[in-house]
Amino acid sequence: MTEPFKNTPPAPESKGEMTAANVAAALAGESQASQKYLAFADVADAEGYPNAARLFRAVAFAESTHARNHLSVLGQIGSTEENLKAAWSGETFEIDEMYAAYNAVAKLQENKSAQTTFRYAEAAERDHQFIYDTAHKQVKGGQDFGPESVWVCPVCGHTVIGTVPDYCVQCGTTKEYFKEF
Amino acid sequence: MTDTIATGEAFEKRLPKPEELNPMTKESLAAAFAGESQAAEKYLVWAEQAEAEDYPNVGRLFRAISFAETRHARNHLRVMGGINSTAENLQAAFEGESFEVKEMYPAYEEIAKLQGNRQAGRSISYALKAEADHMGQYTEAREAVLAGKDIDDQPVNVCLVCGHTVIGDAPDKCPYCAAGKEMYKTF
Repeated sequence: MTEPFKNTPPAPESKGEMTAANVAAALAGESQASQKYLAFADVADAEGYPNAARLFRAVAFAESTHARNHLSVLGQIGSTEENLKAAWSGETFEIDEMYAAYNAVAKLQENKSAQTTFRYAEAAERDHQFIYDTAHKQVKGGQDFGPESVWVCPVCGHTVIGTVPDYCVQCGTTKEYFKEF
Repeated sequence: MTDTIATGEAFEKRLPKPEELNPMTKESLAAAFAGESQAAEKYLVWAEQAEAEDYPNVGRLFRAISFAETRHARNHLRVMGGINSTAENLQAAFEGESFEVKEMYPAYEEIAKLQGNRQAGRSISYALKAEADHMGQYTEAREAVLAGKDIDDQPVNVCLVCGHTVIGDAPDKCPYCAAGKEMYKTF
């Protein structure tokens, strides 16, 4: 970048309750739009519309910038130590409360695909809870997280540090599909 | 950003498929989709923060887990029947943008003004303006796809600050937030 950009992104501020609720709702809306457009881009590619796919990916990115701005206004971009703690808390809520409850209802109503998608997510959130706890301790001690590769199963989100398994323990997907970070 | 991954039969058969859903389970899926989508976005922002604080491995970890949440979001969306043909997806995308432009953001902007919240007002106004770009772009793309054609092969430029989206070259200055040309990301 040539010169510092003067018009900084929107900053945290003390807000009216209605405005705070609205910005939180807008964060939810933008985040969902971004994820939908990424999914739609893959469909467009598969149907032979590469330029429509590019448009979906560009607009998904635009929605991500809106989500980031809203998150900033909400005061939810903290230090890395605070962010790891918040990430751990979010995963913990999903495991202990959210997916536990949703799974029970999907079972009661015998919606099998819903049970599968909830089970995949809950199992992966357990991986994330543990990994974020480890990373949080390291950053609190002034260290970075370890240099090992992070492998993610693209079917169920199972997340592994270090060596990729031959197949996913949660969903059986073989290792060539795992994405390395 | 594109999250392009290998696919194939062995991969596809393990994905949860759309099904007839009871209303309560459908509500659960919609809420879980909202949760996973927000987690994916937060982790990307926190990855940038970690990199700025010189924790590159934490940055990488946040990006990896963001990708995992993206896959959960997509599974939930698929089970809800939210992934269809491109023509239908473009229509759904247009309707979403249209709601944000005509209903959601004007209301939020008015309330932020009333409450004197200037930063919230800016964040909302940036989004409102960019969503209006997207409405037009999705309309054109839908017309092309309905006629069996792709849209033209042109770059799409997005302002990193406010999300201004333009088909073709980036302008010298963002019309919404005045960021320079170098602040645009090209797709």
